[in-house]
Amino acid sequence: MTVLAFMLALFLSLQLQTDMAITKQYALMTGLEPLEFVEVNFVYATLPRLVIAILVGASLGLVGSLMQQLTQNPLLSPLTFGTSSGAWLALVLAAVFSPDLGVESNTMFALVGALSAMALVLLITGINNLSGLPVILAGMAVNLLLGAFATAVILLNDQYAKNLFIWGAGDLAQNGWDWVQWLTPRMCVGLVILAVAPRVLTLMRIGQQGATARGLSIMPQFLLLLLLGVWLVSSAITAVGVIGFVGLLTPNIARYLGARTARDELFYSLLLGALFLVLTDALAVWLSQFTLDFIPSGTAAAVIGAPALIWFSRSAVKAQDQMVFRLPQGISRLNGRVFITILVSLVLSVALSSVFVMQDSAWAFAWPDAFSWSIRWPRILTSLAAGAGLAVAGTILQRLIHNPLASPDILGISAGAIFALVFASMFWGITIFEAGPLVAFVGAMGALVIILFLGKKHDYSPPKLILTGIALTALIEAFVQFALARGNDDVYGILAWLAGSSYRVSAEQAVILAVSVMLLLLLAFSLSRWLTLISAGREMAFSRGLNGSAAFVLLLCLVALLVAFVTANMGPVAFIGLLAPHMAAMLGAKSVKQQLLVSALLGGFLVQFSDWLGQVILYPAQLAAGILVSLIGGSYFIFLLIKGRLNT
Amino acid sequence: MLIRQRIIQCIKVFITTVLVVIPLYSQAEVTITDSQGSKTLPHYAQRVVVLNWDLAEQILELGVVPVGMPDIAGYREWVAQPAVPNEVQDIGTRVEPNYEKIASLKPDVIIIASPQADLQSQLAKIAPVLFYQTFSASHDNAQAALDNFRYLAGVVNKQDVAEQKLVEMKSKIQALKSRLLLAYGGDLPAVTTMRFASTTSVFLYGGNSMAEYALAQLGIKPALDLPATQWGIVQKRISDLHTITDGTVLYFEPFDQEAALSRSRLWTSMPFVRANRVNSVAPSWSYGGAMSIKYTAEAITESLLALAPTQANDVNQ
Repeated sequence: MTVLAFMLALFLSLQLQTDMAITKQYALMTGLEPLEFVEVNFVYATLPRLVIAILVGASLGLVGSLMQQLTQNPLLSPLTFGTSSGAWLALVLAAVFSPDLGVESNTMFALVGALSAMALVLLITGINNLSGLPVILAGMAVNLLLGAFATAVILLNDQYAKNLFIWGAGDLAQNGWDWVQWLTPRMCVGLVILAVAPRVLTLMRIGQQGATARGLSIMPQFLLLLLLGVWLVSSAITAVGVIGFVGLLTPNIARYLGARTARDELFYSLLLGALFLVLTDALAVWLSQFTLDFIPSGTAAAVIGAPALIWFSRSAVKAQDQMVFRLPQGISRLNGRVFITILVSLVLSVALSSVFVMQDSAWAFAWPDAFSWSIRWPRILTSLAAGAGLAVAGTILQRLIHNPLASPDILGISAGAIFALVFASMFWGITIFEAGPLVAFVGAMGALVIILFLGKKHDYSPPKLILTGIALTALIEAFVQFALARGNDDVYGILAWLAGSSYRVSAEQAVILAVSVMLLLLLAFSLSRWLTLISAGREMAFSRGLNGSAAFVLLLCLVALLVAFVTANMGPVAFIGLLAPHMAAMLGAKSVKQQLLVSALLGGFLVQFSDWLGQVILYPAQLAAGILVSLIGGSYFIFLLIKGRLNT
Repeated sequence: MLIRQRIIQCIKVFITTVLVVIPLYSQAEVTITDSQGSKTLPHYAQRVVVLNWDLAEQILELGVVPVGMPDIAGYREWVAQPAVPNEVQDIGTRVEPNYEKIASLKPDVIIIASPQADLQSQLAKIAPVLFYQTFSASHDNAQAALDNFRYLAGVVNKQDVAEQKLVEMKSKIQALKSRLLLAYGGDLPAVTTMRFASTTSVFLYGGNSMAEYALAQLGIKPALDLPATQWGIVQKRISDLHTITDGTVLYFEPFDQEAALSRSRLWTSMPFVRANRVNSVAPSWSYGGAMSIKYTAEAITESLLALAPTQANDVNQ
């Protein structure tokens, strides 16, 4: 059945791309020498493109299924494992710092990047904890960190990275059979996986403990298969760029269609992967007829893939996932000295931003004149409010979802804001800065509505929320890459906004932001009893007379509003919502109220200090606070996670 | 009598006042034009801070050294000519210019383009802001670049230099055109210019691009009709080029995969490649100002002469 559908799809895809008679097509395929341009185009562009779509789709589907079965985690894929962002960062670095390297060394870069990203995720979670949500969240954190790093490099070296944008958007177009010839031998690894994996996977289904009890040591085979999988994916990424969703989606479809045994699932995922990519690529080709600029295959795959993922994985995650992350515990109770230190740092940082004067070869302290002050105070206020708001949003969300890796970024709220702004600037021809906070806010609220609507059916179970967030974020990422690939000078405006900078926040905006965040923080404090009850478990909350669902939705809206206000004014600022609550807890703020207060202060301090640092280190150029926070905060956070795990 | 004398005295005083004050005014106040209409400046600008590369290029062309401009290292690498003297101060990036650095340069005017449009009210606290939009879907970019060149000259009191440069450009392009006509025996080919994004996709310079305007000035029609867009470029797959059956295709350097291209069956079976009507063009900044039309026309002519049926050298001799 699937095979038949696959053949039909191939046939349709070919007819879409050429007007030649079918007999002619057959003759060309069986060796007729092409003469006319249409014939050459068929043999050297259309056919290799189809073959590449099959090869890449099949390998992504196969590896997706392999990873999901190895880890028994229906949400794992090359996308959620951090591999594509690792490869992307490595290639950006290669393009900027040694632009003359050839294709082969770029391939090595991509491979090393992908493997390092995956190693980082494995270090965070540990090899035995791959079956649940935590690995997805760890992958998300690694994606965020590497993505911020890549954006910073691109922003500072914009012209060099220009030719990478097409690759970043993922395109299957071919010019000759070179890439097919390059990719085919590498795909043989897929056959090895098909031959060896089913036995191992069947054993794994008994469970690792069960298998070990029967005297089978699975670990070496497990690692080998994982390595082969990443190798396969890295090759595919090098050849065609980043194409998301195939690996995540197809194994879920295969199971939905009734693939039961390990071998069946691998085989059907492979077929479905090829089918999915051939069809979405045909869609990209077809749509490109109507648009002035062409549409990259990766964009089409994401547009189809994101909703499909949400649809097909309705039953993917059932149980509430266990928390397996251990962060270093730190001090057990909050003492006055710690609190005062934080306050003093905050005041010092604000003072520094106010009176520090940077010159070309020296620096000095001086009271700012009226003009300097009018430039500085809105930025100070904005960064304080943004940091405090995101930190509190993170604290609430982590307690709601019972997961220390849940960051406000993963809900998809800021992704909604990004989408709205990029969309507005692309289709209404206004620059991204003119579009401004209002559009971003509308986008963020739109995302919230989608999340609430989709979450309602499942009583707002955390895995569903996270899954929706991941789908939205990946969809929007593909869309942003498409916008970047268009090659005009608007690109740098979009990138600068994505960096999360307080530069363009006006005085009125800063005041509105500060007041809104303040009100929302007060609301959060007054609701801290709910949060304490929900942290203890929903049943507990219910037995104390709290309507769990209503409280949950209200708190979720609070989180979304905080993120929306900050993102609309400053752009996305990642990791603060993740890091500040943990640091607060490590400093001894264990109760809800304490954690809210201390994390707000810490968040304000961190973003404010980063904002100042970003204005100084590259003077007269500036580095956005969002980028600096992601780089410093993200690295520190991942360090904490790894340290916490190794200590246990 | 007395009254009469008094009246005469009053009139004298009045006339002298007028005679003294009016010229003072007319010397001082300068009316200039930018994309937002006409504005008055207290005097011609001497200390100019310019926040976008295409405008910096034009100010330098006019023989004025700005006191500040953005990302000078990047300009030297990607725009290159005209050269930036060492005394020009770097004021940060194009998207986030450093306000306090600009203020410390005490500029007479700050000149901005669309990427800085939303900074105007903030910058106006430092000095009068002039806004010049070159790239927009709603006007002719090349004409806007030419107009802006004249307007900018009005700001720094270099109107004569601007007119002279524009006349020079016109006669230079005329000379290039006659060389081309001679080399091609009076029958110029239709030409489309582009830049490679990869071996499978290209950016075509279409309506509203400086390249297409330069071609039109040379008397050359586009080989492919492309609609006008804000930046003048359209991204297409390489297969779409096959509709150029009897035109010539020129691609701007740098492109590092020419070897792969020459091996490609798809590329070599394009009608214009088969007929050897394809060549590379020396690098030139795509989003430049008025004088970039001249540089582009020169680069294109150079490339077309190499393709001409009669060799360019024979024509020169």
